[in-house]
Parts: sequence; structure tokens; C-alpha cells
Amino acid sequence: MIETQRLTKIYGAGTHRQVDAVRDLDLKMEDGTFVALQGPSGCGKTTVLSMIGLILTPTSGKVIIDGKDVTAFSDYWKAIYRRENMGFIFQHINLMPGYNAIENVVIPLLCRDKRVTSYKERAKELFNKLGILDRMNYRVEMLSGGEQQRVAIVRALVSDPRIILADEPTVFVDAETNRIILDMLHELRDEGKTVIVATHDVKIAKATDVIYTMEKGTLGTKGSS
Amino acid sequence: MSLIKHRNLFEYALGCLGRYKVRSVVVFTVFTIAVALLSSVLFLQNGLEREAEISVELSPDITASYLKGGRILLLPESFIDEFRSIDGVVEVTPRVWGYVGIGTTIYTAMGLGLSEANIPIGIAGCIGEGRFLTNEDDGTQNAVVGQLLAKQLGLEVGDYMILISESIESNRYTIVGIFSDESGIYTSDLIVMSMGAARELFKIPEGYVTDAAIYVDPEVPVDDVAAELSSVPNLRTLTHDTLNRGYKMAYASRGGFITTIWGILLATVALICFSQATIVGRESRFEVGLLKTSGFTTFDVIEIRLIESVVLGISAASFGIIIGIIYDVYFKAEMFSKAMLGWAFFPAGFAVPIYISFATVVGIFAVTVLPLLFATIVPAWLNAITDPDIAMRRAAA
Repeated sequence: MIETQRLTKIYGAGTHRQVDAVRDLDLKMEDGTFVALQGPSGCGKTTVLSMIGLILTPTSGKVIIDGKDVTAFSDYWKAIYRRENMGFIFQHINLMPGYNAIENVVIPLLCRDKRVTSYKERAKELFNKLGILDRMNYRVEMLSGGEQQRVAIVRALVSDPRIILADEPTVFVDAETNRIILDMLHELRDEGKTVIVATHDVKIAKATDVIYTMEKGTLGTKGSS
Repeated sequence: MSLIKHRNLFEYALGCLGRYKVRSVVVFTVFTIAVALLSSVLFLQNGLEREAEISVELSPDITASYLKGGRILLLPESFIDEFRSIDGVVEVTPRVWGYVGIGTTIYTAMGLGLSEANIPIGIAGCIGEGRFLTNEDDGTQNAVVGQLLAKQLGLEVGDYMILISESIESNRYTIVGIFSDESGIYTSDLIVMSMGAARELFKIPEGYVTDAAIYVDPEVPVDDVAAELSSVPNLRTLTHDTLNRGYKMAYASRGGFITTIWGILLATVALICFSQATIVGRESRFEVGLLKTSGFTTFDVIEIRLIESVVLGISAASFGIIIGIIYDVYFKAEMFSKAMLGWAFFPAGFAVPIYISFATVVGIFAVTVLPLLFATIVPAWLNAITDPDIAMRRAAA
């Protein structure tokens, strides 16, 4: 289970440019659920996702996963935890320019004690599922926004993580791909993985099991679809 | 422990060198040029210092010459017996020497007082072919010549050589020996002959010599003997210490010049540090943030940057050293040799001496590769300890 306790993030604390991005947020997400953090732009969804994903240190509060306060982990163990358990799909896609699609997928795997070729079949399967198998060897700059988004999804899923954190995963894709991605995320949920999606899109949120509505850095309502 | 991860990181780091092509080429080129300049100067400096050491080793313990009014004049032979009477002096060899021209090249000719049974220990042991002069050569026209001279004139042991005296008389000499390479610059253009033959060549009157080579008992401090010699009026003495100082001033550490080269190198390193930290900063920050999000630890990131720098630094330094050697050997260090020599000169045709010591090579690697490693690791570490989310946001901003 993933739980946040009084999770707070303040950027530029104590300065005149202080931004209270998230304040005293308490969330509970059971394993194997598909959760949406829904709310307008700037409400703090991405910040919550980053803190749960251990890539952003909270100003105060805790993230507890399986009973462990992971926010107290050292930088080293946070990295190891991310490596073993998490997959990220970023709002801004964040592919590495200068590399092709398959290289972008395997580079994150280089820190593991495994030859990256062992992930090749899984990567191919995901590329195929998302309809971009023929784009595998294209440099990412040559791909459309939607194709880039799908490469980012393959990258997040190739290591078979048990927690998937997706920030606006369908923002650049067409309706058909949108459906494919959502189906895929449901499949992952069905496999027992926890999927957390940050989205401003009510339709996407409605496709999840639990919806946390956020407003100005705080929790509005919790609901289920 | 499996090495697969490190192999993965190594391959990725090599890929990064290709990815940041402009940075890699700039760093490689600048480092190669800086190292080539530095190694050329250092190898030349070491070579000259070594030549100076050999020259000092082959020199007599004390060289005494006669001064009057601050000018060097011929030394009256009567001084020789006086020198011999000084405690600690084991031998005194009177010498007559000067310069002779063959074609357009000037050589050094030296006559030794062979009848005194005082064969100089130093150069007599540096014979490559034939033999050195003995007492029996006194009064003959036999000569021993330097290897450079023998090569230039195509001389072998048993051949004849003609030298023109000051009164434009030709004098014929028989070559009985050729000095070896070991004696380097000291004997390269030297012609050693008997005292009589040299007097005839330079028209030095009987009763006078150019200077005296004084050999001191190894048990007795040379400075003590030199101090006693100094009490003789109008006498100038040169010991190994004074020769060392003179040679080093002439050949070796041309202070300001070397400092300038080091200054250029340090400025280069500083520029590289700056470019490492800023030019590729944004892209590198994003990359580090992304890698860390995927589970790379700070150590993994530093390992990648370390591999990049080691590969780049060592290859640039090695290439620079090779260029430095080529420049010294094949291009005779044109740019530096004159400045390094100052008022000294090489005999015409003498190869620019270079000496490549392990310590110098290690020193070059240390002053070039280590700052690059430092310049790379510090920004990489600073990036790596930043929250990945912040690192990526900053890069995107």
C-alpha cells in the first residue's frame, strides 16, 4: 500500500517567491489499484507524483510504501528503490535526444546487473502493442509527439515495475492510442500493479478505480468511478 | 560481484563521448595541443639537463684558467707545478684548445699534455671505436674525434683528417679513436690530440697553455682544493658545481619560458573546467535527472562521467605526448630549442637531445588528467545529489 502523511512541498520557502505546491496531503492507495490524481493545471498533481516516486524531496510529511517510510531513505536507497519498483511516464515525455527509440528504452536499464539485450523481447512486445514497432530504430526527434509519448510508456514499463506513475500519459495521443494506453494501464492494474495517473482530463480520471481531486495543493474529494 | 553493470556504464560513457561530439572534440583538441607543447618542452629540458650532467661528469674536478683584467689569457705553464703541490691534487693535465673550421662547420680541438702521464679519466673512458691517446702519442699527429664529427666527415679509425692552422698551413692527423654516443654533446664535435700538435695548430707559444684540468683525490673535498687554488693570483677555477650552475642556466630551466608554458596549460585546464561546468550543463543536468529517475545512483552517474573523462583525458594526453616527441625528434623543437638554449648552442648537426623519463610522463598525465577528472566529477556530483525532478525542471527551464 502507498500512503502519504501530511505530505507538503513548498518551493522557495521563506522567500517572496514562495509557492505552496502541496500542503498536508493524506492519501491511501491499495496495491493493485488504478488511481487518478485529478485537478486543474497547477494544483500540485505532478508534485505529488514526483514525491511518491521519490524524485522530489518533500518539505515535510512522509511517503510510506508497504509500511516503510521511503522518504527517510538515503539518496542511494531511493535510487535503488526506484530501479526495483517504479516506472515513470512524464508529462513532458523526457526522451533523450540524439538516441533512437529503442536506445531511449534501454538506457535506463544500464544501471542493472543484466545485459540490456535480455529486455529486448519485452521491449518489442510493448512497441508492438502500442503500434510503434516500425519506429523502434528511429531517432526520437523524428517521431511525432504521440509516438514519443508511446516510446516513453515503453520505457516506463519495460522493466516490469510494480508501481507506475504516469503524468498526463495521453496528452499527446489520438483517441485510438488513448484507448490502447488506458487498456494497457488497466491490464497492469489487473496484474496487481499500482497505477497512479495525474490528469486534468475528467474522462481519463473516470476510467480509474479511485479519483483524488486536488485543488490548490490540497485534497478536495475522494471518489470512485 | 557481477561486472555487467560496469560494462553497461562503460559502453554508455563511450556513447556519451560521441553524443557530446563538439565538447569531446574541443576538449580533446585543446588538451592534445596543451600536452604536446608541455611534453615537447619538458622532454627537451630533460634532454638538455641530461647532456649537462654528462658534460659535468666528463669534466675535470677543477678547471683552472688565467685571468688578467677580467679577460682570459694563456696560462703560464709554471703554474702547473704549483697546482701539483697543493694537497689533494692527484693529477694536473695542461690543455691547449680552440676552434677549427672544416668547411662551414666549427669544431673544438683540444691538445693534452700526454707526456705527463696524466690521461684524463672522464673522456678517456668514452671511446666507441679505436683507442684513446696514450703517452706514446705525444709528439705525433694522432687524434681522437667525436662521433658527430666522424659522421659528418665520413671518418673511420685509420683515416686522415686535414685541419688548417692559423697560419693557413695544412696539418694532417691520423684518427686513432672515435668517441662513443654516451659522451653526448661533450665530445660530439671534439678533436683530441697531443699538446704539441695543438700548439702547432693554434700557434700557442711554448711555456703557455689554455687551461689546466685538475683531478682531486676522491677523499678530499673539491671545494677545499678550489679554495686553495683561489689564493693563486689571477686564477679562475671552475668546479663541477659551478659548471652545473652554468650549464643549467644555459641549457635547462629557462624560468620564464617554462612558466609561460605552464601558465598556458593551466589556463587551458581552467577553460575546460568552465566549459565542462557550463556549456553542457543544461543537457547534462537533464540527462542526470532522467538517469537518476530510472534508478541510477549518484555513484553510477559519477562512474559514467569518470569513465568519459579518463578515456578523453588519457587519450588526449597520450596523443599530445606522441606529438610532443615527434615535434622534438623530427622537427627539432624549432619553436622552443632556441629559447631553451639561450646563449648556448648545439654543434651543427647535433640531434636535439630529448629524454623521456617515467617520472615526466607520469607528471604530464597527473597535471592534465587529474584536473579534468576533478572538473568533471564536481559538476556531475552536484547534479547527481539534486532531486531528479528539480534537475530536470531546471534543465527544461
